Amino acid sequence: MFEHLLNGFAVALLPTNLLIALAGCLVGTLIGVLPGLGPTATLAMLIPLVFSMPPATAMILLTSVYYGSMYGGSTTSILVNIPGESASVITTIDGHKMAMQGRAGPALAIAAIGSFIAGSFSVLMLTFVGAPIAAYSLHFGPAEFFALMVFGLCTVASLTGTNVAKSVITTCFGLMIATVGIDLVSGAARYTFGNPFLQDGIDFVVVAIGMFAFTEVIVTAREVRDGVRAEIVKAEKIWVEWKDFVYSLPSILRGTFFGFLVGMLPGAGATLSTFIAYNLEKRICQHPERLGTGDIRGVANPESANNSASGASLVPLLTLGLPGGGATAVMLGALMMLDITPGPLMFQKHGAMIWALIASMYVGNALLLLLNWPLVNLFARVMSVPAKFLMPIVLVISTIGVWSLSYSEVDLILTGGAGLVGYYLRKNKYPIEPLILGLILGGRMEQAYRQALIISRGSNWIFLEHPISLALLIAAALFLLLPTILKKSKQFMAARETSVEAA
Amino acid sequence: MDTLKRVATRTRAEGLVILLVALGYLWEAHNVPEFYQVPGVPGPTTFPRLLGIVFAMAGLWLLVSPQDVRARKKAAGAPATAPAPAPPPVARRGFLSRVATGWHFFTMWAVILGYLWVMPDLGFPVATFLLLIAFIFLLGETRWHVVTGLAAAATILIYVSFKLGLNVRLPLGILGAWFK
Repeated sequence: MFEHLLNGFAVALLPTNLLIALAGCLVGTLIGVLPGLGPTATLAMLIPLVFSMPPATAMILLTSVYYGSMYGGSTTSILVNIPGESASVITTIDGHKMAMQGRAGPALAIAAIGSFIAGSFSVLMLTFVGAPIAAYSLHFGPAEFFALMVFGLCTVASLTGTNVAKSVITTCFGLMIATVGIDLVSGAARYTFGNPFLQDGIDFVVVAIGMFAFTEVIVTAREVRDGVRAEIVKAEKIWVEWKDFVYSLPSILRGTFFGFLVGMLPGAGATLSTFIAYNLEKRICQHPERLGTGDIRGVANPESANNSASGASLVPLLTLGLPGGGATAVMLGALMMLDITPGPLMFQKHGAMIWALIASMYVGNALLLLLNWPLVNLFARVMSVPAKFLMPIVLVISTIGVWSLSYSEVDLILTGGAGLVGYYLRKNKYPIEPLILGLILGGRMEQAYRQALIISRGSNWIFLEHPISLALLIAAALFLLLPTILKKSKQFMAARETSVEAA
Repeated sequence: MDTLKRVATRTRAEGLVILLVALGYLWEAHNVPEFYQVPGVPGPTTFPRLLGIVFAMAGLWLLVSPQDVRARKKAAGAPATAPAPAPPPVARRGFLSRVATGWHFFTMWAVILGYLWVMPDLGFPVATFLLLIAFIFLLGETRWHVVTGLAAAATILIYVSFKLGLNVRLPLGILGAWFK
């Protein structure tokens, strides 16, 4: 394995890849800082760019943007009291209080250190856990894979949004969009309504950009009109004293650990991990009453959790082909466009690429630390770039993203339609992430379903006769019931709500 | 009328729409010609049928679920207990007056959709320049020299970097004649 990893480093340290990782971290930090523009929309916008790149480089770019955004999100939480990402909402509680007490420096420093430790840990775990999980899943047949995808979709549906029925609806809607186009097995044209442009199906980038980027522009535009401008606290010296570090180290480690566990679960993602880790922290740590009053542990813990979770979410993505949320779903889509189907054989077939990716994540974590330490005040000032100049440009670049897919006018119109539908869904609390996930998984899910039925000669009992698939389906059903059971837990409900608002 | 008001909520209307979409979806699956179906083998409509049924059931649930009505009753029963982020008092107004106050919002959508519609024919530079002017203005910048200057600079920068830097084919449209 170390041989593989060393080979990975050889690729990751190539000048091009190093430069790409640096650019990705920079872009990631910037979008992390900018409230509104989230990682999912940005990744969707970047997809047309990565077409022409070799797969390893493409994935290095996408992942570095992803974890860079987790890193940048904390900066504005602390300095401005506006979370740049939904995963940094918890950080505002203690982080901004610390800044108001004149301790912005230590807060930013511990966020950086915690993120670095957590990021490194999750990459380390990915190194060791990834290949065995992939090897185990080689025993999966079509029935198991279908059940696994049902499980993934159900966890996402259960953990995002406020109403399970609404989440099921958007998931299903995504799967339905995926059935548009020519059926690859029989050649029948489905849901094309005689339009030849629909025969290839609807590209997920078209829907993702419409639903994430365009709606984001409009939502932000409306907020600009309402006009809330926050004051930016300046951090004097970014340094943390040794005793503060020792004081918060247990919190970092706990956040890292729980963040990783929660992050591995498809659907949970970084946002929920921060809520769960912080909640547990309150129960486990000494002097829990200090949390919430500007305690440094209140920054260290959730910041470690979200970075750990974002690394952990790559485990099911790379080994099972199961994305955990919007951002990883877009990555999966990108991989499939590059002709790489993530899944059990990934480590065997595309081992070189995966190891290069893992190696680049070690490098990227170090880069982020080096990049952020001296430049954090500069990044915070990016926030003051007025949205009225930024959003129109986001709009144009998103349009180019759609256009460059296949230079098709129909795609542009579909994007506009997706934007309108997406806006309505967002406004009425229908979560969009499950829709994108369904759209991306739809093709493979149908394939697994049909293969399983062919094996069983048309009997649906096959899914209940195989023990692994039965267990997965039961787990999926339990997840759908979870919100009803946990209705009383305010923290849990708040976490779900946040995850629907800022994707 | 009163009963109708009590049971008709937005969620229920959405449930109805979803149910109708599901039925349409199932109907369309039904229309796939027979000869694609091989007996004994799951055909092109097996999976869509499953989806359509789940979708229809979820829509039906929204339609009959008492959750909304209960929430509304609760809100009506205890109005004083919800002081927190009070939603703006959107009184029941007519459609026209809502359009009038939301003109800005509707214009934004119209501008976006119009841009997507005409960009391939009008050409990227002209369409983008117009879009940026309209949008920056709609977002509250009223100084004309800032608006036009920024729009022109952004258009040129984006065009050059995507066309030359990334080799994306962007249509010149009506400007094409000039540069030939």
